[in-house]
Amino acid sequence: MTTKTEQQLFVGSPVTSHAFNGALDKLVVSDNSTTVYVYAKDANGKWTKETELQKHIERVKCVDWAPKTNRIATCAGDRNAYVWNLNETTGVWEPSLVLLRIERAATYIRWSPAEDRFAVGSGARLLSVCFYENEHDWWVSKHIKKPIRSTILCVDWHPSNYILAIGSCDFKCRVFSSALKETNDKPETSGWMPKLSKFATMLAEFSTQGWVHSVKFSPSGDKLAWVAHDASINIVHMNNHDTVIRSLTPSLPLLTVIWASEDSVICGGHDNFPSLFNIVGGESVSKGIRLDVKGKKAGGGMSAMARFKALDRTGDDTKDASLDTTHQNSIIELRVKKSDSAGKCSQFSSIGMDGKIVDWNLDALASSIADLKI
Amino acid sequence: MSKNVNSTQFRTVDVDAYDEDNYEDEAKETGDSGAAEVTERANQVRGLLNQLKTKEALKMALQNPPVGNKDASVKEQNYETVVSVLKSFKAADIDGAVADLDMVEVDILMKYLYKGFTCSPDKAASLLQWHEKVVAKGGLGSIVRVMVDRKGI
Repeated sequence: MTTKTEQQLFVGSPVTSHAFNGALDKLVVSDNSTTVYVYAKDANGKWTKETELQKHIERVKCVDWAPKTNRIATCAGDRNAYVWNLNETTGVWEPSLVLLRIERAATYIRWSPAEDRFAVGSGARLLSVCFYENEHDWWVSKHIKKPIRSTILCVDWHPSNYILAIGSCDFKCRVFSSALKETNDKPETSGWMPKLSKFATMLAEFSTQGWVHSVKFSPSGDKLAWVAHDASINIVHMNNHDTVIRSLTPSLPLLTVIWASEDSVICGGHDNFPSLFNIVGGESVSKGIRLDVKGKKAGGGMSAMARFKALDRTGDDTKDASLDTTHQNSIIELRVKKSDSAGKCSQFSSIGMDGKIVDWNLDALASSIADLKI
Repeated sequence: MSKNVNSTQFRTVDVDAYDEDNYEDEAKETGDSGAAEVTERANQVRGLLNQLKTKEALKMALQNPPVGNKDASVKEQNYETVVSVLKSFKAADIDGAVADLDMVEVDILMKYLYKGFTCSPDKAASLLQWHEKVVAKGGLGSIVRVMVDRKGI
């Protein structure tokens, strides 16, 4: 089994956001421009460009694909979001505008688990939860504003569809109720929501020292993990909001986190490689296990031409300028591709500022890295 | 060409003061040291240093720094306590002392080292010796946490 498959999607631009369709044979990505690209897997397993979705007039910040209903949602700095529906007969993705009613750029977008609504975070210090209004045939939004005091960087939905977590630049991670009267929601009480709360009620608030870059609920929804710019990983259980398991890592700040199982997380960030962290005894987090195994460079030698060129330019003919990690720049986003019913992840993907997309096989990694236990 | 003789007073206007949504840090009541605790700790540390118990002195000096305290002299006093401990170490003993610290203490020590770089640049050589050992233990993450800290230590 190969542990990882990498592909250079873009040269000279980062892959800022990505999402897969339900069958994992199509990919939607943005390259920090106004265009959104849909790629399809060809016969060799390589991603090849299929179509371009061009509607935004400012750079696209985030994309998401709803696997069951097959819809793409995109949001951009032009303060708009579009929901793209695939026209089965023509094969064309048709956009429909979402009225976000925000005065600043939209920064993050995520479909809910039931795919009947999605959340859009923005620089306007508020979150728009958008749902479809049948009478008018458009998407309308309701805002969650208080007490968020700065740009929202990340959002994650709880599996119940009625609770969401928001990480923002005001150094806080918060959990809100998103149960809407308009869609006849019937939420149940849980550890996060002990009393039935209406839309926009804040259920929990946690502080960190840095911007909260990424937040994720565990597969069951009982735990919440977030990574912040103070190079920390924070995990909390819904039944005990006062005990936040904080791991002050010795690495550079992490930018993205996903759950590999109910008790372990995989994070990636400015160190350019994904690491696995296990929750030990429900109280602490283990040291990160680097999942990007340093491979020995085959051959190692440079051609004679390359040596003289390097000698002429830099006065040194021995150095190879590339880093020993797969990603040559920060990892921007991780996505779980395949996981079993218990939430144990077997395959995940990463995109980076170097324009690469890497597909990681956790089962293969588990056998190749000696002390890797998930 | 004509000289600009118009007022440039507008450049000194604090625009953030007029912004309704301007972000301000919360002034939270935390359990860090007040003036009394800092003085008490300074005395205890001096005692330990007189008994040449340098490792214990270091651990004691790094406890509960007066982060939230509005009084600069209290922070200054705690800083002096920490510096006096750092000075008492021989170069060879630094490794052992750092190995004994947990991650929270490593972060606090790193914050004091960077405060030392700004306040006492003349001591930079010895502080850098400490810096090298602390980075070996705390990694680049401990430096990031110094940069990201909004309340000065």
